[in-house]
Parts: sequence; structure tokens; C-alpha cells
Amino acid sequence: MMNPKDNVATALENLEAGVSTSVILPSQEVFKEVTTKQRAIPFGHKLAIMAISKGDKVIKYGEVIGNASQNIEPGEYVHIHNVRSNRMQMPEVWYREEE
Amino acid sequence: MKFQGYERPDGSVGVRNIILLMAVADCSEPVARMIADGIDGVVAITQHYGCIPGEMVANTLIGVGENPNVAAVLLVGMGCEGMPAQPLGKMIKQTGKPVDWISVQESGGTRNAVARGKQILKAMSERVLGSKRREFDVNKLIVGVKCGGSDTTSGLAGNPAVGAFVDMLVDSGGGVIMNEPIEAVGAEDPLAKRAINEEVRKKIYKMIGNEEKRWSVPGAQVEFMCKGNVDGGLTTIEEKSLGAIHKSGSRPVKGVLENSSRLLEKVPEGGGFYLQDATHMEPMSMSFMAAAGAQIVIFVTGCGGTFGHAVVPMIKVTGNPETYRRMSDDMDINAGTIISGQESVESVGRRIINEVLEVASGKPTLAETFGYHNFSVFRVDPRLEALLKISE
Repeated sequence: MMNPKDNVATALENLEAGVSTSVILPSQEVFKEVTTKQRAIPFGHKLAIMAISKGDKVIKYGEVIGNASQNIEPGEYVHIHNVRSNRMQMPEVWYREEE
Repeated sequence: MKFQGYERPDGSVGVRNIILLMAVADCSEPVARMIADGIDGVVAITQHYGCIPGEMVANTLIGVGENPNVAAVLLVGMGCEGMPAQPLGKMIKQTGKPVDWISVQESGGTRNAVARGKQILKAMSERVLGSKRREFDVNKLIVGVKCGGSDTTSGLAGNPAVGAFVDMLVDSGGGVIMNEPIEAVGAEDPLAKRAINEEVRKKIYKMIGNEEKRWSVPGAQVEFMCKGNVDGGLTTIEEKSLGAIHKSGSRPVKGVLENSSRLLEKVPEGGGFYLQDATHMEPMSMSFMAAAGAQIVIFVTGCGGTFGHAVVPMIKVTGNPETYRRMSDDMDINAGTIISGQESVESVGRRIINEVLEVASGKPTLAETFGYHNFSVFRVDPRLEALLKISE
């Protein structure tokens, strides 16, 4: 995670489903442990490190990167299937392909 | 900090000594390529908006011709263009560098134009290719920063490392330019907080707001992020922007350089960090930075990229260790060491500034070793601007 305010973190390696992993701050300090849910997280993709309710802000770098379009559990894969921009939407086909 | 460059008659300093052959429209490009063929040190470019491309394209071509990396310019036109070679050439000639122009129609067709062009180029080569480098302070250096093919490593490693470099260069008196306002949508506040005054702060919001209007027209399905971004883990424009602005470092934003049909503003002397109101699409973005005076560009990528620019050497940085492993032939700097925990952001920033000084002094970038000379320009369509009610 990039900032202590964040509710998502980035996988620095491919994470299998159902594994426990340490969430670290840029200082390398361990912030918490999180267990991935039923979906694996590819390298560079994000996982929730706490529960995010539908409509809540998704925070990375300490800033809002979008809002949750559905309820997200800790350890769940976070990407275009459950987060929408507050500013500009990609063409609908992008979101359909992800389903 | 010093580098070895070429002094130009207007006092600017080039890091390359290019003879630029500029076909003012794509109709005369084949003739220009025949003229350049077999002559060392010549780079041939054109633009593909036709012969009435508008003021923004004219400003860009003039600016690219004025770039200090360009030692001399030969412009080639068919003769009947709305944007002919002669007035462009006359503008570039004000820098004091050797500039000439030919019209294919006046020259009497292909064979005569090629013969005449080759004669002019040979004379130019003799005049400029023997010039020697000498030492200059980094306050004569302007570096453009750009990212593309971004993935999440760009915001975590590649861009922060370039940001560390930017701070080091600015603190040493150098200048830095960054454009791509679309990649500041959602990141306005952290950038605007760095504005040196209220006027600059307002210009930052206006520039980003205008770009958002251009790329999110109600009823139009517009792609503003690429598939590689999403495959690489980037979810929204806000996330992409917040990662992208890391490459701007943390020093004050001294100004927003105008780029309109009226004016393509240059990076002022005196160093510091500037934003430019110009598109994010590379290498068009790089042509705008070159036209504003950048002598080198740094390109940060996650997915990778194999291209260069016609007049500015491009140093490629990747924050993705896998991309570096796969494409090390093309990636000048590996910032993936940050992701793997082997190196600090500052340490990679120091490697980047050392590389910049070496490239400024003549070390070829990997793109240059392949002979990559991409060139393209972009225009904001004045009709669309009017329809979207975007004022300059």
C-alpha cells in the first residue's frame, strides 16, 4: 500500500486465491495481514485490505481513485468489475469483457 | 553538474547535431526521403494532417526546427500547400542556424528537386557536422518526462524514480517539462498545491478541465486508457493519473505553457518544473515537448515500448522487473529493482540523472542504437473546440 489511508494494496507478486499475505507500507513496515478470497490477484493488480461498501471511496496513494460499484470484502480482487471512476468512464464494452 | 553539448547561434545548447529534413506535408514526403537517402546525420520527418493542417501543427513544426538538437533544417514543400515551406523556414531561420527550403513544383519535379535538395544538404553537412561539443552547466538542459504503456508498477516505481530525478535536476538549475493533462484528471489537487501563484493554480485546473471535456463527450464512446493499462492493473483514470504525476517530482510548478493555435510557449530560461498544455499520446506529446525546447525525454513504461523520437533522444525507464527482463534491449533504466526491494527510489533517481548527463554528452540511448526516429504531431481541432465551448 502506498499510504496509511489506503483501503487497497497492490500485489507485488502473483497471489493465489485463499492465501495470507503481508500488506506493507512504502517504509517496508507491515501494516496488516490479509487473506485473498476466491479470486487470485495477478502481479500489479489490487486487493482490498478492508471492507469497502458499495458506493464507498476506493483509496490509493491516500487519494480517491473511484467508488466501489458493489460491496468488496477484505482480500477481494479490486478492478474494473467492482470499481468505477468518478470522472470518466471507459466505453461499456470494457466492463462487459471483464464479466 | 555539467554536460558536453553543441552551442547554437541563439545561445541554446543541443545534445545532438541533427540535420532535419522536413517535408511540410505528406505529399512531399517521398521526395524528402529520396533527398535524405544516403546522407549521414539527416533525419527526415513530415506531418500527416495534409497541406492545411492549421496553426497548431505549424507552431509545432517551427518549434521542432528551432529545437537546439537540430543544427540545420531543409524544408521541402510541393509548392501549393496552405502551409508552405518558405514561411516556416523563415521563422526557424530567426534562430540563426542554417535553414533553406525548396518547392518541388518550382524545382521542376522529382529528379530536379532531389538533385537540388541533395546539393543543399551536402553544403549543410559540411557546415555543421564538424562542430565540436563543449562543456555546459545543466542549467542549459531541459528534460521532458512522459509515461506510456503504464501499469501499476509505473506509479509504484518508474514514475517515483523519475520524480526523484526531476527534483535533483531542478535543484541543480535544470528545466523539466511534462504534458499529458488527461493523466492529471483526478490528480488536480496535488499538482495545483505546487503552483507558484494563484494564476498558475487556476491555469492547472483549467488545462485539466478542458482536456477532460475533450475526452468525455456525452454520447460518444471514447477510449482514453489503453488495454495494456487495464491488463496491467490500472482501474480508473484517477488511479492512472495519481501514478502518472509521480514523475513530476515535488518541486513548485512554475507555469503552464500555452499550446494553442495562437502560441506554442517555450520553457523559459532559469530552470524549474513546467506543465505544458499538450496531448498525452506519444510520440506526439514528445514533439510538443521538443517544440518547447526539451533536448531529452524520459519515457516511463510498465508494458514496454520500442520507439524513439526524431529530434530528442529518449531514455526509457521501466518499473516492471518482468518487462525489463523481457525487453532489456530497449529499456535503458531498470527501476524494477524498487519493486523487488533491491534499491531505493532515490538510488534509481541518481542512476537516471547520471544517464541523462551521459546521453546529453553524446552516449546513444538504446532507441538511438536501433535508429528509431519516430515523428508525429497532433492538432486540437478548432471545430471541436468550438462545439465543446472550450476557450483558449
